[in-house]
Amino acid sequence: MASLRSTSRLFAASRPFFRPATFARSYATVEAGEPANASEPPAKMKSFKIYRWNPDTPSEKPTMQTYDLDLNKTGPMMLDALIRIKNEQDPTLTFRRSCREGICGSCAMNIDGVNTLACLCRIPTDTNTESRIYPLPHTYVVKDLVPDLTLFYKQYKSIKPYLQRDTPSPDGLEYRQSPEDRKKLDGLYECILCACCSTSCPSYWWNSEEYLGPAILLQSYRWLADSRDERTAERKAALDNSMSVYRCHTILNCTRTCPKGLNPGRAIAETKKMLASM
Amino acid sequence: MASFARSSLLRQTLATTRSPLLRQNVGVSQAVAFHASAKKQILPPLPQKLDGTMNDPVPVPQPHPSEGSYHWTFERAVCVGLIPLTIAPFAAGSLNPVMDAVLCSLLVAHSHVGFQAAIIDYFRPQRVPKFYSLCNWLLRAFTLTTAVGLYEFETNDVGVTEALRRVWNA
Repeated sequence: MASLRSTSRLFAASRPFFRPATFARSYATVEAGEPANASEPPAKMKSFKIYRWNPDTPSEKPTMQTYDLDLNKTGPMMLDALIRIKNEQDPTLTFRRSCREGICGSCAMNIDGVNTLACLCRIPTDTNTESRIYPLPHTYVVKDLVPDLTLFYKQYKSIKPYLQRDTPSPDGLEYRQSPEDRKKLDGLYECILCACCSTSCPSYWWNSEEYLGPAILLQSYRWLADSRDERTAERKAALDNSMSVYRCHTILNCTRTCPKGLNPGRAIAETKKMLASM
Repeated sequence: MASFARSSLLRQTLATTRSPLLRQNVGVSQAVAFHASAKKQILPPLPQKLDGTMNDPVPVPQPHPSEGSYHWTFERAVCVGLIPLTIAPFAAGSLNPVMDAVLCSLLVAHSHVGFQAAIIDYFRPQRVPKFYSLCNWLLRAFTLTTAVGLYEFETNDVGVTEALRRVWNA
């Protein structure tokens, strides 16, 4: 009897395999098989102009390709529109996405002139104007909307983004911190490294090889401000040159564009104050 | 990941080197092109170049406080100091040669540091080494000329504050 039950459960678990692949993949879209009745609202067609460049044909210049979607059948966010375009219109459209709720930072792109996460950006309901989607500005493009963030990650690694300590904790269990010290990390630890702020910074556009950029400097300050970290002097010395921090001219594009509502400009200002009081 | 990125790098390099030959064959498909890919650009971006492997951090520069934190503190101090020095002579209504001298030297330092920042921002020594040093020497020459000119103006003429007052009242 017991064996019979387990087999039936197995059978039930395997049932979704027989569903068509399109239904399993698409989310936040209205399924296609609905009967078209007279009470259906009129189609709200909006056009999306999307940057296309294929590395397999490198001699062809990048182009803008237009896709039209009915907003009534699309989810509210830009990522829903992109996924729907990829599922239903053009499977060659390439973009990164993962969590669809603004916690992974994969879908960072330039939408209507602003660097943001596609999953946190609502589709403007005005159907007269088109939406333009580009990859993050001033990055090397791998394909379509996928930028090459290798240098960004290499810079992140260079600031040693981990707790550095020599003295063991008194109880041998964990490094404790007062609530006030913990509060200093609010607004810093939430950064998801989506690179929206760094790629919106004109200083980072010109000097990305040496200037660290707002995202990395915010992370750097997150470790400078941490009361448990004991290498503050070395961290400060690593930043104390003309390029790493001081190419920041307080343009504050970073703070304006941050899709998580953080303030990298303030973190850089605090870093400068810390360095000045060395 | 590494081999994948490297192959894309190679493609970009190929694209830049090959494109003049291929451009003759490409027809109407180029209609929607970007202004950024125009033929004549000022300092076009070079193909991507990364030092070391994907997993190496970028090198950390040597600490250089006179170009870093001291420089920044000096620059801010000059900026803040200029505010009262600009207002004081007119508010107090008195002419003091020492105040004038301090104002002029701070002005020269302020503009020198400001233009220097612009040169560092826009002309990287790795990319345009000769033009970078040319700009720096030009800046030094201009700063020196300005300093000498202001000195002459202060000693042999009425001075900056008095000149501004006369222009204002004219």
